[in-house]
Amino acid sequence: MEKRFMKGCEAIAEAAVRGGCRFFAGYPITPQNEIPEYLSWRLPEVGGSFVQGESEVASINMVYGAAATGTRALTSSSGPGISLKAEGISYLASAQLPAVIVNISRGGPGLGSIQPAQSDYLQATKALGHGGFRTMVFAPATLQEAVDLTYNAWEYAERDRNPVLILMDGCLGAIMEEVELPEMKELTYKNTESWDISKRNGREESHMITPILPEAMLEKLNAYKGMTYKMWEKNDVKVEEYLLDDAEYVVVAYGIAARVAKEAINTLREEGCKVGMIRPITLYPFPKASLDKLDYTAVKGIIDIEMTIPAQMRDDIELQVKGRCPVYEYGRSGGILLDDEGVYEAISAIVKGGNQ
Amino acid sequence: MAAYKRPKSLKEMPTAYCPGCLHALATRLVADVIGELGQESNAVNVISVGCSALNLYSWAGDDIGAAHGRAPAVATGIKRCMPDRLVFTYQGDGDLAAIGLAEIMSAANRGENFTVIFANNQTYGMTGGQMAPTTLIGQKSTTTPFGRDALSTGYPMQMCELISVLKAPAFVARYALNTPKGVMDAKKGIKKAFQYQLEGKGFTFIELLTNCPTNWGMSPLKTFEYMETNTIPYFKPGIFKDVEVQE
Amino acid sequence: MKQSFVFSGSGGQGIMSAGIMLAHAAIDMGKHATFLPEYGPEQRGGSAKCTVIISDDEIISPLTKKCDNLVVLNSIAYNKFADTVKEGGRLIANSSLIPTDISRDGIKSIAVPVDNIALEVGSLKVANVVIIGVLIGATGVVSKEVFVKSLEEKFKAKKPEILEMNMKALEKGIAFGKA
Repeated sequence: MEKRFMKGCEAIAEAAVRGGCRFFAGYPITPQNEIPEYLSWRLPEVGGSFVQGESEVASINMVYGAAATGTRALTSSSGPGISLKAEGISYLASAQLPAVIVNISRGGPGLGSIQPAQSDYLQATKALGHGGFRTMVFAPATLQEAVDLTYNAWEYAERDRNPVLILMDGCLGAIMEEVELPEMKELTYKNTESWDISKRNGREESHMITPILPEAMLEKLNAYKGMTYKMWEKNDVKVEEYLLDDAEYVVVAYGIAARVAKEAINTLREEGCKVGMIRPITLYPFPKASLDKLDYTAVKGIIDIEMTIPAQMRDDIELQVKGRCPVYEYGRSGGILLDDEGVYEAISAIVKGGNQ
Repeated sequence: MAAYKRPKSLKEMPTAYCPGCLHALATRLVADVIGELGQESNAVNVISVGCSALNLYSWAGDDIGAAHGRAPAVATGIKRCMPDRLVFTYQGDGDLAAIGLAEIMSAANRGENFTVIFANNQTYGMTGGQMAPTTLIGQKSTTTPFGRDALSTGYPMQMCELISVLKAPAFVARYALNTPKGVMDAKKGIKKAFQYQLEGKGFTFIELLTNCPTNWGMSPLKTFEYMETNTIPYFKPGIFKDVEVQE
Repeated sequence: MKQSFVFSGSGGQGIMSAGIMLAHAAIDMGKHATFLPEYGPEQRGGSAKCTVIISDDEIISPLTKKCDNLVVLNSIAYNKFADTVKEGGRLIANSSLIPTDISRDGIKSIAVPVDNIALEVGSLKVANVVIIGVLIGATGVVSKEVFVKSLEEKFKAKKPEILEMNMKALEKGIAFGKA
């Protein structure tokens, strides 16, 4: 394995290429510009295509076309651009096309700021577009995890014939740290040949990729998607459970927030405070079981820590806690980052003083 | 003398278009040319939103439905990944000249090597006859009940004229389908566009002036007359750009 | 052992490159490092800040408000961040542009005329190497040898005169750091 000291955006771009990505279309927006910049020279090196689209709208639709040919296709953006892509992502879901979308998120609400924030949890997990579809949402906390999740994202997308979202905040997009890069995937066959519009290769029947279906078929598709989401909950939840065995307080945090929280938890443990953490790696499917199975006779409180105000994951947490203990929240937003001291103080105040 | 047969690119089912609608003829012309070029199994039809979408289920070759206005972006993605396939979009005037203006102009400007078939009937047919970007001045629609007024809605968008000023496009032409000669010329133009694409010459754009008996509120024959006296004087048929002739 | 370094100044002062060089040198020594830049929206001349964490163990959080070592290159950065140095930490200030008395209780203050030194040895462009020199002299977090090797790899073959300028900048920085 090859180790490199890399910037987040460039690390996931390289991981995408090694995971078989051969098409990228995107539009400039801070803080994710290093992804298109990197792929503009990297994709042609491996026989892939890079297109700078005229808009996020056009870019996601280029990805839609590329995905229809069975090519592993990627687009990336940040909050406002993901909103523009919502139409195309919805069409990917309805036409059952696999593709990977990266959101390097920034401050909200609305335009917000160009500085990092975890402001797109609700958009990512509840309504990435219209029509009520779901996508798997991966939320890495380290660049290594971002590389590994990106590298394998198309396996899920192609298995489910559904887009996959990778949600990282601007900190993880900009940070540099060491990563081990996996080998280039040698794709000897296409998982998509039974339905795609790649080369006919003597294929007799024609293929139709359609975002619209007659009523009966559409109802079947919706039922099938519903089953797929259930299967994700059963088989594909990824979560890190940290020091939960004796925990009296459980932090729930994802991505960069989870790293800051873990540092604080380690300090609090040294001080004798029984604090643990649940870190969702898949935001959807949400790790319901991890929260549901906690021993609420011992757990005195759940602390939701996010780099956004108000906390957006809280509803998902409360649905599992079911009132069995109080849920607290702490966050920073508007481009002001979480930091070790602030998170430590917030958790400490709750744990030591029952402070809300 | 060849028998008048159904082209292989069209399924054996009735067209979904209204009686007298030239969309059906335009589709037929495209299918005929694809047959003459032996490209039935190689062609990819990128179908847009509007009445053009009625082709989705009747097209016999590979096809893909695109979001409203986005067909040129979808075609870009397909062609970049599958450069050997014959890729074309089939778009109406609302799709291409209003909601999809950014996509069509940008694809043309990049010189993407696919073909656009643009059916211009000056109305939003599927949604019931609202004003299109191509609706003529004075022409009535459900959103211009007293006729289109340039003061508040501007002028009909002339797409061939706009696209032909770009440097990249290889072939840009407009034909009217209301006369047999127009139909024959259109077929030649479509064939040339597809040939240019197969030769890798770049972006090709065919505008076909069509009608909408239902929403214009006229018999099909009346629409042909209306086209002759109103549409054609404004949307003048002709070849606007041909790289082979100019260079 | 985990140490945090915050660099701040205005865009174009070599803040980001100094941070990246320090992180690279730590990695070359087999340590773990993270580099986190923070930019304003301006392309030129806006505020610039970066945080480098260096540790013998894997780094959990890369975000810190209080740091062990703060490098400020202009008065704006000094006024904004001078109070974020941890007890017992170091404040390194560019005295070429921050003419005030920077001494504070509980921390070590080092005033270095970074711009003057850089200009003296040849170019403002080596200000970042002066800073690395000060950090090497003051903290020993990375070794001089490892850093010199990376400079040599970068410049020796093609631009020996640039290498020489960098070496001078480094030595002067180290001297200030040790003082």
